[in-house]
Amino acid sequence: MPPLQKNPSLRPFKQRKSLATRQEEVAGIRAKFPNKIPVIVERYPREKLLPLLDKTKFLVPQELTMTQFLSIIRSRMVLRATEAFYLLVDNKSLVSMSMTMAEIYRDYKDKDGFVYMTYASQEMFGCLELAVPSSGSSHGNRPEIPFTPCQEKLVL
Amino acid sequence: MESTGSAVLSKYENQITIFTDYLEEFPDTDELVWILGKQHLLKTEKSKLLSDISARLWFTYRRKFSPIGGTGPSSDAGWGCMLRCGQMMLAQALICRHLGRDWNWEKQKEQPKEYQRILQCFLDRKDCCYSIHQMAQMGVGEGKSIGEWFGPNTVAQVLKKLALFDEWNSLAVYVSMDNTVVIEDIKKMCCVLPLSANTPGERLHDSLTASNQSKGTSACCPAWKPLLLIVPLRLGINQINPVYVDAFKECFKMPQSLGALGGKPNNAYYFIGFLGNELIFLDPHTTQTFVDTEENGTVDDQTFHCLQSPQRMNILNLDPSVALGFFCKEEKDFDNWCSLVQKEILKENLRMFELVQKHPSHWPPFVPPAKPEVTTTGAEFIDSTEQLEELDLEEDFEILSV
Repeated sequence: MPPLQKNPSLRPFKQRKSLATRQEEVAGIRAKFPNKIPVIVERYPREKLLPLLDKTKFLVPQELTMTQFLSIIRSRMVLRATEAFYLLVDNKSLVSMSMTMAEIYRDYKDKDGFVYMTYASQEMFGCLELAVPSSGSSHGNRPEIPFTPCQEKLVL
Repeated sequence: MESTGSAVLSKYENQITIFTDYLEEFPDTDELVWILGKQHLLKTEKSKLLSDISARLWFTYRRKFSPIGGTGPSSDAGWGCMLRCGQMMLAQALICRHLGRDWNWEKQKEQPKEYQRILQCFLDRKDCCYSIHQMAQMGVGEGKSIGEWFGPNTVAQVLKKLALFDEWNSLAVYVSMDNTVVIEDIKKMCCVLPLSANTPGERLHDSLTASNQSKGTSACCPAWKPLLLIVPLRLGINQINPVYVDAFKECFKMPQSLGALGGKPNNAYYFIGFLGNELIFLDPHTTQTFVDTEENGTVDDQTFHCLQSPQRMNILNLDPSVALGFFCKEEKDFDNWCSLVQKEILKENLRMFELVQKHPSHWPPFVPPAKPEVTTTGAEFIDSTEQLEELDLEEDFEILSV
């Protein structure tokens, strides 16, 4: 999925290791730490603002809530308090902040036994094409479609 | 501007054509259309619906304004769309504050003086408090150089800072972080002493408000600063997770709704409502010429209302990065918002955002925004070592403990 990855070590965890290897890894770590949840935290490949974490794999106490876990990851990155930061479970869901890791594990664990989380900030909006200005003073004369520089428009 | 008599006339004629054009463009169904907390029956109230949409202040790309920062760009075409959407949302908040949600704009009709004053806050001049100049320059503090693209959260943060300098409106702007709205923090921000007892806008000390909190509606503030509440979210990674669609639509039904900032990839839109599974939005991607105040001190507002067909898009094409907006003029509006959220948002299995009474203990303390900016780095988040213990065990696993 991420076409821009140059460094092979930055490939997603799932692509770096086979299912069998990952399953073994989970089995081993669960045997040693039965009360901790194995979590993979990765950056959204197209994320441009947030730094890379130095670690991918975390063993998290099962009673830790999502909001606490989020704060820990946030603090690792030393983000400004106003910076947008989202941690999505299973690549798509903002789970309830009060959910515990045990509950997240129950509901979202992958077949390899890990819980996968992706972090991202927000997308930025704008377009590179130069807009051809339409005349503002003759704004009323616009039944001809107004110029819209960077999109296909759905007018119904 | 060459607004000769004939130009005005042709403008007016075109107006009529457009109007009938778009009367036909909405499908003929029995469905309800929701616009910023108000419902319209499509079948019987079409013209009311259309005039409700065209009454919203519409901000677009502009050119030929004075260069930002003296030497910067004199047009925001190509980069200002999210900033314009933020302006539209704030303008809607100010309309609700001064004129009410039911106020309606009529072309060439005299408007209340507050309307002109609101419009003047957004002219593309460096001395207007929410101008493109002010917004772009305030963005520098959020890590955005002038001309750089904004996201919904960036624009919300910028509005929060600019509002501190707007004494006319004295808005409290709350931007939630980590998908969590904290009731206690909002009450702390919005509760002010009556003007007689204090200088305008000054906040109560925490000790005074402490007794008011956590009792919900029973304990009312002596005075309430009008609240602009913005909830920036990411409802999926590269596309919106369909489980959030209903909750997202629900927000447009709330009487406090200011719509949502968002868009399709690269194109920012100001979403104001929905019809079925289509979102209705105002589009800033039209470049118009800068309009200044006229000699008599008023602004010709013709180019600040969108008179073309309301645009729609399928909700599943929504970029997942959004920011919901709400306006609570009085404390009871906020209390009502809280109960609506309880009922409509928190009921979902997957909550779009959280509403909590108390400030989470593992967060840094809540600091209401103040003019000299206070920044807290994430490094202060964890208050003791017991939460995080690094053990060099098991290859590259990081083990967290409580």
